[in-house]
Amino acid sequence: MIRVRALAKSFGGLNVLRGIDQHIAPREKVVVIGPSGSGKSTFLRCLNLLETPTSGSITLDGEEITSPKCDVNRVRRKMGMVFQQFNLFPHYTVLGNITLAPVRLGRAAKSSARDEALALLDRVGLADKADAYPNQLSGGQKQRVAIVRALAMKPEVMLFDEPTSALDPEMVGEVLAVMIELAREGMTMVVVTHEMGFAREVADRVLFMDEGLIVEEGAPRALLENPAHPRTKDFLSKVL
Amino acid sequence: MEAFDRWWAAIQDRSVAGTLNFWESIYKEIYLNFISDARYMNYLKGLRVTLIVSALAALFGLALGILLALGRLSEARIGRFRYLSWIAGKYINIIRGTPMLLQLLIINFGIFGSVKMDKIFIGVITCGLNSAAYVAEIIRGGIQSVDKGQVEAGRSLGLSPGMTMRLIVFPQALKAALPSMCNEFITLIKETSILAYIALTELTKAADYIRSRTYSPFMPYIISGLMYLAVVTILTKGIAALERRLRQSDTGAGAR
Repeated sequence: MIRVRALAKSFGGLNVLRGIDQHIAPREKVVVIGPSGSGKSTFLRCLNLLETPTSGSITLDGEEITSPKCDVNRVRRKMGMVFQQFNLFPHYTVLGNITLAPVRLGRAAKSSARDEALALLDRVGLADKADAYPNQLSGGQKQRVAIVRALAMKPEVMLFDEPTSALDPEMVGEVLAVMIELAREGMTMVVVTHEMGFAREVADRVLFMDEGLIVEEGAPRALLENPAHPRTKDFLSKVL
Repeated sequence: MEAFDRWWAAIQDRSVAGTLNFWESIYKEIYLNFISDARYMNYLKGLRVTLIVSALAALFGLALGILLALGRLSEARIGRFRYLSWIAGKYINIIRGTPMLLQLLIINFGIFGSVKMDKIFIGVITCGLNSAAYVAEIIRGGIQSVDKGQVEAGRSLGLSPGMTMRLIVFPQALKAALPSMCNEFITLIKETSILAYIALTELTKAADYIRSRTYSPFMPYIISGLMYLAVVTILTKGIAALERRLRQSDTGAGAR
């Protein structure tokens, strides 16, 4: 589904990604772990071109999205993204946040977008917050709304950039529960996270990144319990 | 102070002669400068011109200011928009770096010197062109104060850069810029008084005309000053109400 070849990204003289090759299959759940500054967020942000790769290529459903001829806006509609800082639009209600893109991009009529949004909100347990503004919600509620907002575009892939890192500990569970349910439904997911429990439970494959490279990858149980590479061992000994 | 002393002496002279006390003389001044010969109509007509010029110049300045702000922020380095940022920057620098009176004289006697042009039109153009430079910087600040994550969220949903600006960034930028915009509108209303210089009979010129008729050195200006004050106060209250309404989405218990 997503194929990444020799992906590199540098900011000024700093090489953040130094050649990533990956293939993400449909319905696959890939969890990316690694120390801060390892390039895992940049890797994720390159996938939907929020960062423009310095070199290398990315193809989605056989279409090369890194090509200058590619319509970035259309590609992004196939990829939902959830941010660490939620990034809800403070001047729209919860419902407004969710229906904005589908309605403005002509994907759904206002009334059907509204119905779909309410159904999605109901599934994440926030139906009663439809008319609230983001600043009236807790962190966990905000992130669940952000997930629904991305899902409203009916994406093929969901990208999560440390979705629970800005949350108070007691709110992490409610967000992870939504993500686990999404995974069970068969959504293709790429998740950058520090939640090893989530990786163990949900991931088909875990990537360990360090210094702009994928150092090691494998099934979660194998990689988390029997890491082969010394840097993976070192990292896991610090976080587990 | 000398003028005041003379005025005071004159009042006292008359008081002695005609046994008028202070309040009676104030009343006489108001009568002479506001009521007799229906002079209030002069003020009201002047006020009308001031309001028309201010409103049109504010709209023109706002529209041009937004374009200038977007121009300054545009990162286009290729094609026909290459010089947008540069041009906008120079425009703002020149307008803010020279006196508005000078700009008025250039527009009135230079650009429109040989054509018969409505003074109100010249006023709107001058004040609008001037205000746009300040509005541009206010809007630019507002846009830059919006968190970068807002743009990323909009773009990640597949919205185009234009839609993201229009639907997500700009409303928030305008809200952040509202207090400064209020300030700019107040300045604009008062600055239209320099149009008296090209003999446009707005509020200040109207007051000056009455002074030339009644020889009262205070009352006409005080009356027109109170009118400016009333207009600015109403504007301030209106914008404060608007700010309160926009702040609705900020209320609530949730931490940011």
